[in-house]
Amino acid sequence: MNSALLQFANWLAEQSVSIDLHESFYLYNWIETTHVMTLMVSLGMLAVIDLRLLGVCFANVPASKIAQRLDKPMLIGFIVMLITGLLLFTAIPVRTTQSLWFRIKMILLVAACVNAWLFRRKMVEAAATWDLEPKPPRRMRIAGALSLALWSGVIITGRFIAYDWYDCGGDNPAFVDWAAGCLAAQ
Amino acid sequence: MLFSFFEWLEASALGVFVKDQAATFAIIEAVHLMGLALLGGTVLAQDLRLLNVVMRDVPSNVVTEQAHRWFKLGLWMLLGTGVPMLAGVATKCYHNPFYWTKMIALAVGILFVFTLKQPLLRGDHASLKPVTLKLLALASISIWTLVAASGRWIGFSG
Repeated sequence: MNSALLQFANWLAEQSVSIDLHESFYLYNWIETTHVMTLMVSLGMLAVIDLRLLGVCFANVPASKIAQRLDKPMLIGFIVMLITGLLLFTAIPVRTTQSLWFRIKMILLVAACVNAWLFRRKMVEAAATWDLEPKPPRRMRIAGALSLALWSGVIITGRFIAYDWYDCGGDNPAFVDWAAGCLAAQ
Repeated sequence: MLFSFFEWLEASALGVFVKDQAATFAIIEAVHLMGLALLGGTVLAQDLRLLNVVMRDVPSNVVTEQAHRWFKLGLWMLLGTGVPMLAGVATKCYHNPFYWTKMIALAVGILFVFTLKQPLLRGDHASLKPVTLKLLALASISIWTLVAASGRWIGFSG
């Protein structure tokens, strides 16, 4: 699988869109800036929903109301994140494909989405029973805390991609090179 | 004079601690971004409510009162991580125009929130003109967007 991913990354890196993005100082940096600033929309709204699930803010407003009303801006934020994220990947495909941090980030991202999907369904089903309580039931609070923890992990690993720690070709333990899928060094 | 303060900060125990290991700076940076998400989210929840874009069926007084509490936590997170980050690269920041843009915008933002926006919004929103509420929201979004964007650009030009 690693060689297929690398093959794709190598192909992408040769496309003019990748080269143009990579070489344009302003375009690349503004895409990066948009990616970071949209944190305020996507994870900002998510944080408000999760804090409500933990019972620590908006206790006087039903939890389902907060979640439903902030869903849309949150999803708009995520779409912008996804588009700018894909552009950032397009600009630097080979290194990113073999980045340990990028790989961990993708795993956390999937886990966070699965968590969101599971607990959103449970929340809608059970909303009638606890919606008006300032402090939601235990499993809702666990889901909210898990969501905050997973997304914090996405932020940390995302920020770490920019550093050259554990880049392929460095003096890494074998398991790091394995996890990062380093092939080019061989 | 001011520059000597930046030199002193970078040579201080805090500056040395942050610079000693690259990972220290990066972890503080990541927490800074979490603070950004919290501050930005609570600013936007308030301002988009005042602009009648989100949560229209929740009283705007409730939204601004609740969100402001967490806004303050976000601001403390950002200040608490921002000062160590500055200490690590203080002399670089001194020569960086984006750094000064951000600091001025940040000072304006803090003054705006605590001396104008919050005092006005603490009262009943119905007693304020709708246009006042909307202008407060637009001013708030603009200033915090500038703070965040110029902050990101400190790193691009260093």
